[in-house]
Amino acid sequence: MIPHPASEVTDSVYDKLLHGWLAGELRLVNKGLPRERRSLDELLLQERPAIRCTDGSEQPVKRNELRLLSDLLEEKERKSLLLPILIEMTGDETEAVVLCRSDIELKVLTSILGMRLNYERPGRVRIYRPQLALLRSKLRTTTQYAFSSSMRND
Amino acid sequence: MAQIMKVRPTKIELVKLKRRLKLSQRVQKIVKDRLSILTMEFLQAARDTVTAKQRTLTAMSEAYKAMTVASGYHGYVALQKELVACEADITVSAGPRSVAGIRLPSLELNEPSGGLRGYNLTQTSSIVDSASDTSREALRAIIELAELQRGLELLGAEINRTKRITNALEYIVIPSLQVTIRFLSMKFEERDREEKARLKRVKVLLARKEQ
Repeated sequence: MIPHPASEVTDSVYDKLLHGWLAGELRLVNKGLPRERRSLDELLLQERPAIRCTDGSEQPVKRNELRLLSDLLEEKERKSLLLPILIEMTGDETEAVVLCRSDIELKVLTSILGMRLNYERPGRVRIYRPQLALLRSKLRTTTQYAFSSSMRND
Repeated sequence: MAQIMKVRPTKIELVKLKRRLKLSQRVQKIVKDRLSILTMEFLQAARDTVTAKQRTLTAMSEAYKAMTVASGYHGYVALQKELVACEADITVSAGPRSVAGIRLPSLELNEPSGGLRGYNLTQTSSIVDSASDTSREALRAIIELAELQRGLELLGAEINRTKRITNALEYIVIPSLQVTIRFLSMKFEERDREEKARLKRVKVLLARKEQ
């Protein structure tokens, strides 16, 4: 193939465009991640419970979801449960991983899904898509998707 | 069929292309995952919308029924006189919630604090209480339906956009990169073979000269 005389210039622009677009896509999927997670107790005390995201916006948290979570937990546990609960997408289209810092998150998951769950690895609980749909339908604003970097590196 | 890109046949270009292919494949994986999440959310939202619509219709019909019974019991004028004092602005907390990079509306009715109804409880009957409760329930259902329906529209539009990106990556960007990489690799292999053949020929010529 004979290279076009202008191919170098054209290609470099194309390259920049592609890179910019791809980087934008990566940024976009993790836009709603929380900057800091707040405890259930703290959110229950707020007049308008909200969580600050990495893009600077504030995501409101529904009171009925907070009430549901507080009904599931004891007084002491409410202080330790950090929201939103992060759901890591593993790149496998049938599974997701819920990041559980403590047993409280596991207790919440077990109660909401109505089944016994176990740690896959410390701090990680693997759930399947139907369970994920059920979890998201009950906890829309208190759970958040995270597209992990480990997935990007494989 | 994927087209070969116009690139200079150099090793640097090949390295660049390989890097770009890797990046494209990684993004394709993420975008595909995002698409499946959005589809799952869309289906869930569609199911919830149907339920919310039914709930709204039931709540509205119950509220109208309760109001009709209350106005029949107390008299329309007396009921209006009683209720005019407790008129209040409805406030709704609104904000965006992010789902895999897309902002969906989140609406919630602000409940009045203290649970006060605003009208005179001694002058009215429990029928008015029931009408008030059903009306509030109807209001809650309407707000939920509004949130779900707008979310459904936004999710649909985003699914279309993401599908276009996935298709572009799957059928245009990645195949054309693969074809170009294969073409360049073959070109370099061909060059190597030519070089080897030339060296062999030179070696033979030199050997002949020495003899």
